[in-house]
Amino acid sequence: MIKLENIERRYISDEVETTALVGVNLDVAEGEFLAIMGPSGCGKSTLLNTLGTIDRPTSGHYWFADTDLAAMAEKDLARFRAARLGFVFQSFNLIDELTIEENIALGLAYRKDVSGNKADRVAAAMDTVGIAHRARHFPHQLSGGQQQRAAIARAIVGDPKLILADEPTGNLDTANGEQVMDILSALNASGATIVMVTHSPSHADMAKRRIDMLDGRIVASAMRAI
Amino acid sequence: MNRFALLSLYRSLTRHKLYAALNIGGLAIGIAVFIVLGLYVRFETSFETWLPHHNEIYAIQSDWKDQSSPFAGRYVETMGGLLDELREDFPDLVGTRIMGGKHGGIVQRGNTAVTEDVAMVDPSFFEVFDLPMISGDKDGALAKPDAALISESAAKRYFGQSDPVGQTLRVSMWEPKNYRVAGVFKDLPDNSDFTISVLIPLPENMREINSNWHHWGNSSLQTYLRFRNPAAAARFDAAMPALIDRRGRAYLGDKPSDIFGLVLLPVTDMHLEPNGNAASSAKMTLVTLGLVGTFALLIALINYINLATARAGLRAREVAMRKVLGADRRAVMRQFLAEAMLMVALASLLGLILAELGLPLINAAGGLSLTIPYALVVPALVLLTLVAGFLAGIYPALVLSRYQPAAVLASSRSPGGGRAGTRVREALVVLQFGLAIAFLIGTGVLVAQTQHVRNADTGFQREGLMTVMSLRDSQVDPTQSRAFIQEVRALPNVRAAALANTVVGGSGTRNADNVPLPGVPGDGPLVIWEIVGPDFFEVYAPRLIAGRLFDGRTADDRANTAQGQPDNVLINRQAVGVLGFDSPDDAVGKTVGGDHLRTTIGVVDNLSFFGPRAPTDPTIYYYYADPLRTGNIVASIRFTGDPRAFHEQLEEIWQKIVPQVPFDAQTADEQLIQFYEDDERATRLFAIGAGFAVLIGMVGLWGLASFNTARRVKEIGIRKSLGASATDIVKLLVGQFMRPVLIANLIAWPLAYFAMRTWLAGFDDRIALSPLYFVGASLVAIAIAVLTVLGQSLRASRTAPAWALRHD
Ligand SMILES: Nc1ncnc2c1ncn2[C@@H]1O[C@H](COP(=O)(O)OP(=O)(O)OP(=O)(O)O)[C@@H](O)[C@H]1O
Ligand SMILES: [Mg+2]
Repeated sequence: MIKLENIERRYISDEVETTALVGVNLDVAEGEFLAIMGPSGCGKSTLLNTLGTIDRPTSGHYWFADTDLAAMAEKDLARFRAARLGFVFQSFNLIDELTIEENIALGLAYRKDVSGNKADRVAAAMDTVGIAHRARHFPHQLSGGQQQRAAIARAIVGDPKLILADEPTGNLDTANGEQVMDILSALNASGATIVMVTHSPSHADMAKRRIDMLDGRIVASAMRAI
Repeated sequence: MNRFALLSLYRSLTRHKLYAALNIGGLAIGIAVFIVLGLYVRFETSFETWLPHHNEIYAIQSDWKDQSSPFAGRYVETMGGLLDELREDFPDLVGTRIMGGKHGGIVQRGNTAVTEDVAMVDPSFFEVFDLPMISGDKDGALAKPDAALISESAAKRYFGQSDPVGQTLRVSMWEPKNYRVAGVFKDLPDNSDFTISVLIPLPENMREINSNWHHWGNSSLQTYLRFRNPAAAARFDAAMPALIDRRGRAYLGDKPSDIFGLVLLPVTDMHLEPNGNAASSAKMTLVTLGLVGTFALLIALINYINLATARAGLRAREVAMRKVLGADRRAVMRQFLAEAMLMVALASLLGLILAELGLPLINAAGGLSLTIPYALVVPALVLLTLVAGFLAGIYPALVLSRYQPAAVLASSRSPGGGRAGTRVREALVVLQFGLAIAFLIGTGVLVAQTQHVRNADTGFQREGLMTVMSLRDSQVDPTQSRAFIQEVRALPNVRAAALANTVVGGSGTRNADNVPLPGVPGDGPLVIWEIVGPDFFEVYAPRLIAGRLFDGRTADDRANTAQGQPDNVLINRQAVGVLGFDSPDDAVGKTVGGDHLRTTIGVVDNLSFFGPRAPTDPTIYYYYADPLRTGNIVASIRFTGDPRAFHEQLEEIWQKIVPQVPFDAQTADEQLIQFYEDDERATRLFAIGAGFAVLIGMVGLWGLASFNTARRVKEIGIRKSLGASATDIVKLLVGQFMRPVLIANLIAWPLAYFAMRTWLAGFDDRIALSPLYFVGASLVAIAIAVLTVLGQSLRASRTAPAWALRHD
């Protein structure tokens, strides 16, 4: 489904050049659950953002199906994100002024082709993550675990092909982290492709495949023995 | 405020340079606009307050009560002998007459004659007007019939460095006479409607000189009285009707007080009080300009408070950390209040500088010479600093100092004051834009109306029209006048020249007669009458609506040729209905009037001689082959070519024929300017004030938008990661300001509607209050709002989402 070819990402700021990704090649098959690991600053988030098209590579190709997203216009990328992707962030990134329900509905707001009743789909997504009883609360009234589940609901409400999760359990305690991982596994089981950055080896083990990064390169790739 | 607090203020100012500039700059502009317009209002309301014991001085107004008369209203004019008659009834009365004033007389020096602001007054003048003296002695001076007091600048003009006291000055009001300068008084200040540079005593024998001296209802001069206290003035007022009924019966009918009154007017109210039936626009203009200034300041303050509180939210984290480090609530509040006051103080200083820089421009635009009275402005600004600083500081101080540090530090983003804060800011934006839109509408209507009256049809062509006013001087004898007009007619660039007792802009006096109508009981309507000589209707060329014009060769057209015979007259359109005719055609050939019969030979369209605010009065024109047989005759000349060159040409002829009287001629535009300049000045000042108010509103909106955009950077990242396109983001950011701006129309429209309707009501010839002004102003406001916000929104919409998500 996804093929990264020789992706490079350099940041230039104040004459200091940082290379976050160097010659990254990566294939992600449909239905995969991929975990990305590596030390802080090695480029994991950059890679995930590149996959999510919210960051553009400096050079290289990003094939999604048969389209090179690295060369696609910003407008089409926005449409692509709305239709195909779901994001989960370490810091939840819910919008403070909107209720949980409204935050989740935002996952459908920018899609032109939503089939079925939007409210039903929002309700279904809330049920999936078990947050329905908090629908009318504001984010700051929820615990971290609840906020992250709401964020996952927002990511899946549009039925995305690809879910990108950047340290989704990073701000959560063990119990809440397990809960989030269970939801992600269940989503993968029902067909979603997931790419997840994590610092937790045990959470990485729940993925089907794991890659390790160091200084902007992929240094190892391992399939989980089933 | 400790050292660290100051340091953090300094850093926050320099780090957020833009906010600081908007905050302080916007407020400074508001303060400057307020100062400048405030000075103007203060100037206009300060007239005659420079006079010692001005609270005790009153002018006597003649009050003509018959509303149907063209002369209805109150005038600061009385008959000449009124003061003498009043003194018979009130022996202790302190008062003086002032006859003349601006251009009231002529001073002759050798062979030249100069028009001077000469006034004849009673010896008791200084008991009422205690003018500050420079030299000489004012006490009892005016009791000598040949004494003159002159102003400081007149003294310089006529005597240079030498001591004027004791020197001789040849002055003429109606005939030249030598006076001895008894003293020099200080020039009257700008905020005075009295224009006097030479004071001479009223002759004792005025009753013989002016046969109308004791003619009740006549107006020859101004009478001023001084009362110890308001109660005494009120008693005097109350005694007037009975006095009028007793003394005025011979002139004003059986019950004179029904049609005529004498009313005191405090001298300090004179400047803004309309004279006669003129519209009372001065007061309203002043109130409006005062409001513009106040609103500009208000908008600036709203902005300031809005931006300050919005920005304060961004500092919640700093406050939380201070609290964690042990600062108590009082310390935090103190810091915010002190910061706010310091900022407002900066803005005040800058505003003062801006006002000082802007004042010359305003003076030029308004024909004024205002200066900033620091002794008044500085304390006012200190007060403003304290009040505005308090208001701007108290909200963030209260809100921020109340935050629980734990909650602030735990929250993922800086609080913006929550939903309530957003509401308050939105409401303030509504208020601000409501005022701005109202200003825009007002500016549009004012400019359109000013434009309209400037181009309005006056009934005659204004270009190439010259009026010669110096002909009416009593020292010019008819032979000289005839010689002058003859030479003028012979000039190749003169198309027509006419003598009449009326010209565009007025000749100084107006006459009216009751015209009894056949079959209608009573005296009949009061109608203005004018005496016109040959070619008058060639010079002014009003449209002939019915009948014919005067024909110089037809002896019948000449008025008063034979006793008992009707005069052939022309009437204007306004007079048709008033004289009981059905239509202009109906009027032709008909005769009206009791023992003075007038036959209408034609109807001409209205000639508007007195500006856009004055309605044209019903008028009858009499034809005199030689108008110089009567008094107060002036000339109107239709010419071609450059007016200035023509003026010089005329002056040359004049100097040759009448050297003893200064030449005084004006173009029609110069004559009319007196009726336009107040409105045009008000329009200019309003437009400038409103322009700044809108500018300040824009600055505020810009600041608020950039604050909101900055606060929403992360949200933009989130929305983009969810698939929002750049267009979606722009719509979101611009849209948030559309709602308040649209609601603002609800405030602006009715406000502007009532204000403008009232203002327009003061014009006889006015534009319709079309919805276009309202829709147009709203569109402009919306366009301004969109443009203000759009730049930032576009930039924000283009931010890379990955970067935005990193933003805190
Ligand atoms: N906007 C930026 N400007 C400059 N350098 C950046 C920017 N974003 C990331 N970097 C640099 O790129 C490198 C990779 O950053 P990235 O966020 O991908 O690391 P990471 O692996 O996700 O680390 P962590 O585990 O701490 O989240 C780092 O060295 C970082 O400093
Ligand atoms: Mg990271």
